Amino acid sequence: MVQQATPRETNERLAKRQAVSFGRLRKSIGRDAPLYLLALPGIAVLILFAYLPMSGLILVFKNYNFNDGIFGSPWAGFANFEFFFSSMEDAIRATRNTVMLNVLYMLTGTFFSVAIAIVLNEMRSKWFVKITQSVMFFPYFISWIIIGAILFSLLDYDKGILNQSLAALGLSQVDWYSSPWLFVVILVLANIWKSAGYGAIIYYAVLQGIDTSYYEAARIDGASRWQIIMRITLPMLIPSIILMSLLSIGGMLKGDLSMIMGVTFLNPLLLPTTDIIDVYVYRTAIRSGEFGFASAITLYQSVFGFILVLVANKMAGWYDKDSKLF
Amino acid sequence: MPQAENKGLLIFFYVCIAVFSVICFAPFVLAVSGSLSTESRIAAEGYSFWPRGFSLETYQFLFGSKLEQIVRAYAVSLTVTVLGTVSAVLVTTAYAYVVSVKSFRFRNVFAFFAYFTMLFSGGTLPWYLLSTKYYHLDDKLIGLIVPYLLSVFLMFLMTNYFRSIPHEIVESAQIDGAGHLRIFIRIMLPLGRVGVVTISLFYALQYWNDFYLPLMLVTDERLYTIQYLMYTMMANIQFLASGNAAQVGGAIIAPPLETAKMAMTCLTVLPIAILYPFLQGFFVKGIVVGSVKG
Repeated sequence: MVQQATPRETNERLAKRQAVSFGRLRKSIGRDAPLYLLALPGIAVLILFAYLPMSGLILVFKNYNFNDGIFGSPWAGFANFEFFFSSMEDAIRATRNTVMLNVLYMLTGTFFSVAIAIVLNEMRSKWFVKITQSVMFFPYFISWIIIGAILFSLLDYDKGILNQSLAALGLSQVDWYSSPWLFVVILVLANIWKSAGYGAIIYYAVLQGIDTSYYEAARIDGASRWQIIMRITLPMLIPSIILMSLLSIGGMLKGDLSMIMGVTFLNPLLLPTTDIIDVYVYRTAIRSGEFGFASAITLYQSVFGFILVLVANKMAGWYDKDSKLF
Repeated sequence: MPQAENKGLLIFFYVCIAVFSVICFAPFVLAVSGSLSTESRIAAEGYSFWPRGFSLETYQFLFGSKLEQIVRAYAVSLTVTVLGTVSAVLVTTAYAYVVSVKSFRFRNVFAFFAYFTMLFSGGTLPWYLLSTKYYHLDDKLIGLIVPYLLSVFLMFLMTNYFRSIPHEIVESAQIDGAGHLRIFIRIMLPLGRVGVVTISLFYALQYWNDFYLPLMLVTDERLYTIQYLMYTMMANIQFLASGNAAQVGGAIIAPPLETAKMAMTCLTVLPIAILYPFLQGFFVKGIVVGSVKG
């Protein structure tokens, strides 16, 4: 998105250029003044809600108290880090849960999105595609708290549809809300339900752009439908799949607090697998007011998250120059 | 022979898509059915896809003793969504215009200034402390709006729409003496209206569905949004039970808790369900444009 700087120039030429451009600069500032005005609200929002929170990361070196705030609280040196390393299990669990859930979401989400897109691409019935696509896309518009409420009616021990069905089949009922590992499956399925239709739109759009002559040639050669899918359609999608997956690596340490809150209501029995970093910070710092450990894990999330984004972008750049984001 | 094989696979595909579509739709049937059931039968027999003992008592209960809370939460959600969307679209399109002006020498600086926030983030904790202690956004309506005024992703989406407007139009306006403000308002916004509508819808959806900001910033019941009201209901059933057991003819009738959750689900999804058929095309277009050049 941001263009490369001009190639290096000799000092002499650079000085000349600067002299010329200084005059041009003054003129352009006059003409461009309204542009700064237009950008101002956006800049203010970015500074308030993105850049100042970054500087707020110094919190980790502070012994935070409410009255003095982030910048006024006394320095604590590395005390928060010592605390962090002394109770690493919490950090390890939170990190494991965050990465585990994100990897599972990515793998299953991609699989279902791609499968739906490919299958829709095979269909010739326009109205069928249109209607099913609309229906599958709809869950994307539903908030996690609503999904949580509906899930409750599926999973509740006594009244839930799932246990009713298990009982009808003569199987024993399952206490979903106290089985942390089973609940990972529920989260993954809920994520597929909410976002597979959304993902399918992207891949379907890619498929719509494929030159139909590939398919005609394959058909003339007597290829079966399955062969066409495996040898033409899927390979056509591979670049997009790899790209999207690489880019999602950058978000591996980010967690969706709303999702966990909406679906589990911070049920303590489920925390062994649902206590992601964001949930941990919310529980310990925002709810219970213990800032030391939470600030350390926040810094660690930010720094490693940044490294992951850089690595992901680098890899996407190696893979395909055009797709590099910066 | 290959024809038969092709046919079989195709039928299998149709069945798969139909099944997944049903799965996507069925939970809403469950919610509607739950909201129309009677509490006692849900408690005894469990949820069902078909109303158990069809009745409107839950809605009567909600619109009777909970009317004020629900109407207020709806009003807060609506206010936040409308004000938030309008302001966010203004802030976002203005910034996007600046980034899209080819002759502006610092446009890449502005682009990177926004882009960097996608790469590096200070995380929830400093954000929370600044918002509450320094900006005093807690328990204020504005606190549910301001933090989302600029989505960098939607800003770049809008930039793409602006860039697709033929440059000659802008040039001829400049020759006629139009400044940036005039070009932005009179030319770019009207010509980029598909983009404007698209990002408006994304913002509206975000504001309507959000319960992160109320979770972080709101304790005052009067500022509960419909989503957050729903959350407090789910997380703490006492909200409904507390002191609201309706007395009818001397007998105390327990409030319908289970069916009320389903009814609230329906009330929360209803506005989206009504608008969805008309607006989904914009979302599809936005997602495609965003993923191709985002």
